[in-house]
Amino acid sequence: MSEIKEQLVSAEKPAITAPEGWEPVIIGILCNWCSYAGSDLTGTSRLQYPPNIRIIRVPCSSRVDPWFIIKSLQTVADGVLISGCHPGDCHYIAGNYYARRRFLVTKKLLNFVGYHENRIQFSWVSAAEGPKFAKVVEKVTADIKKLGPLHQYKKEDIR
Amino acid sequence: MSYQIYQTDKAGLAQFYENIIGKNETYAPVLNFEKYEYKKVSKLADCNPESPIVLTMSMKPLFFPKNSAILKYKESSEGTEIIPDAEDDLAKKRVVLGVKHCDARALQVLDKVYQWDYHDEDYRKRRENTLIISTRCEKAGAHCFCTSLDYDVENSDAYDVMVVKAADGNYYLQAHTDKGDAFLKENTGKLAANDGIEKIKEQYTAFAASFALKMNYEEVSKRLNEQFDSSEFENATSNCISCNTCSFICPTCHCFKISDEKIKDKGIRYKAYDSCNSPYFTLMAGGHNPRPVKYRRWRQRAMHKFVYYKERFDVNLCVGCGKCAISCPVNIHIFDVVNQVANKA
Amino acid sequence: MNYTKQIQEIATRLFSENKIDVFVGYRKNTYGDNQVPVLINSAEEVSKLMMDEKSSFNLTNYLKYEHTRNKRVGLIVKGCDSRALNLLITENQVKRENLYIIGICCEGVVDEKGEIAGNCTECVMPNAVVYDELLGSPQPVREYKPNAEVIELAAKSLEERAATFEEIFSNCIRCNACRHSCPMCYCAKCCIDQETSALFNGANTLPNATHALLTWSLHLAGRCVDCRNCEKACPMHLPLHLLHKQNEMVIYENFQQHLSGIEEKDPGAFYKYSLNDPDDFIM
Repeated sequence: MSEIKEQLVSAEKPAITAPEGWEPVIIGILCNWCSYAGSDLTGTSRLQYPPNIRIIRVPCSSRVDPWFIIKSLQTVADGVLISGCHPGDCHYIAGNYYARRRFLVTKKLLNFVGYHENRIQFSWVSAAEGPKFAKVVEKVTADIKKLGPLHQYKKEDIR
Repeated sequence: MSYQIYQTDKAGLAQFYENIIGKNETYAPVLNFEKYEYKKVSKLADCNPESPIVLTMSMKPLFFPKNSAILKYKESSEGTEIIPDAEDDLAKKRVVLGVKHCDARALQVLDKVYQWDYHDEDYRKRRENTLIISTRCEKAGAHCFCTSLDYDVENSDAYDVMVVKAADGNYYLQAHTDKGDAFLKENTGKLAANDGIEKIKEQYTAFAASFALKMNYEEVSKRLNEQFDSSEFENATSNCISCNTCSFICPTCHCFKISDEKIKDKGIRYKAYDSCNSPYFTLMAGGHNPRPVKYRRWRQRAMHKFVYYKERFDVNLCVGCGKCAISCPVNIHIFDVVNQVANKA
Repeated sequence: MNYTKQIQEIATRLFSENKIDVFVGYRKNTYGDNQVPVLINSAEEVSKLMMDEKSSFNLTNYLKYEHTRNKRVGLIVKGCDSRALNLLITENQVKRENLYIIGICCEGVVDEKGEIAGNCTECVMPNAVVYDELLGSPQPVREYKPNAEVIELAAKSLEERAATFEEIFSNCIRCNACRHSCPMCYCAKCCIDQETSALFNGANTLPNATHALLTWSLHLAGRCVDCRNCEKACPMHLPLHLLHKQNEMVIYENFQQHLSGIEEKDPGAFYKYSLNDPDDFIM
């Protein structure tokens, strides 16, 4: 396990000078049954969270193919958040167990090729965890703000 | 027409190249991931104009790059606005060093199709502004067969200037076109002794004798045409994996695909390499695919290279460089395929 | 390592006993010193067959084409090739009873320069794991060790890695030879092959090449057997093994030391899960 830690920890590089008033764009891919419902609860509870996140609903966190993350980062996203049900609570029984294997390998590979580890983040948020979702989005937004706009492998011409 | 021959030694040649690099935008073979590609160089030490033939990629990306943005547009409530093209970096005046004869000939062959029913302006400008200095190979690669085809490798005017390393260690330079002659007159002073022409001929004789692969081009081309329905095509290409590599690497393959990329209101239209070997090459909107069978795609490719292009433009599309064979993951050589089919009389 | 005679004898016997319809092996090339995979249909062509340390191509790749589908196939597999075959059988891509497998205890293959191939120096399973007949004496099995180049790159800073991979990906010409030569890439409609799809755009820009190569390696994670067909096929000589070995290392260290295709009926790492898989990276 110690080897993971060595790999993931990389110096926090200073942000590329972000233009005045820059706001990061974060793509959030949420599973329908837990995280999406949880984010809905955050809203109905009138809890504030940063508006930088754009939410995409998927039936289950295991629907997330690694290319969703890569494509988001190449087009409009500065960061990606994937969120699913807690292990053991997946609506489809075991989807999130398969997903967390994939998430680990994807995160490591993307870090290996040059994306900062904080660009791609994951969380387990249940349908009852409205406040947690707000905290998660706050953390991710703050992390990405510190990192600055993403310029690597970007379809730059189109932005 | 016979142009003036110039003689120099290794140091003199290096100086000649240095001068060119100093005065012109120069491309030369540069080592990149264990193979030589033609890239812009700013000093002679960065490149190798005598790169080994097996590892040298073609000049095609300098005229038909793997990717080019041909159109940029922006949509707004007033309609679609075309964004003016950026300056074409490849259309500047430039010199290419260390070109192999086959690569130079490939461009000459491509000129026909690019100035045929549609005149490709981008290509024409790039060709016009490029001067080709070709280093004659000392001996043929195991996969080469340029001397078996329909062009005179020795006296071709596909390249503007020829550089030959003779048996005595000296280098002989000769122009093959007016453009090359004017260039040489401006760029070198030392003239050759009279036996320059003999030394060059000697070198060519040794070079021509070093070919392992030879074929009777006229016969093969004629037989191929007659053997269209031969089942031998299937036998000869059953191990092909339809990976597209040969077409992408081939200096004369010119098929391309157009892809649009659009995000929100801005879009770019790209032109990139395509290959007739791909199973999707003939796939049409609606799902019909006239060439789903692999050996038929290979047949089309072989016929295009050796029959159809010759019929239409009077030059053979294949130039015998063998790059397809070197890059093929399963080492299929088009030389083998066409001979196997042609010889099954 | 030379099994030419044995291979020819076996192939002749299989054809004469009408046990196979097609035999997939290697033959000598007409030029140069390399070998070409060959599919032969009768005993007359058996004399073409050969097998030695230059026989590097993973022949299980041919199980995805119409030449071998629903036919009885004779096949030569080395250690890594047989792992791919195990996975293909597990994933129901080929019926075991249709195959006659000649397993080789591989001593390593050499590249064009005559040097032993990179993956052979760290091969964990040189002996065929599935076979009907085994040739050669079992070679020593190595313990798994992470690839040295991957470790070296991982130790560098993020910027250096980004620069390295940007250079690698920008040389990609999207020919898709890597995916066509990989035996595990058998999807009839491969997502990175869909040249006209807006998803995996065919244009050869750096982001597209990155997208395609990373997705491809992640779809292969847990199923790659390190045969290096992809790297040998790549016309731009890109070091694709870096991506696959990185994934293999993460999978080995975190998912019960899984190595693809060694056990029979053992699917890739992403087809299974454990209740104890690490998730401390998930909030």
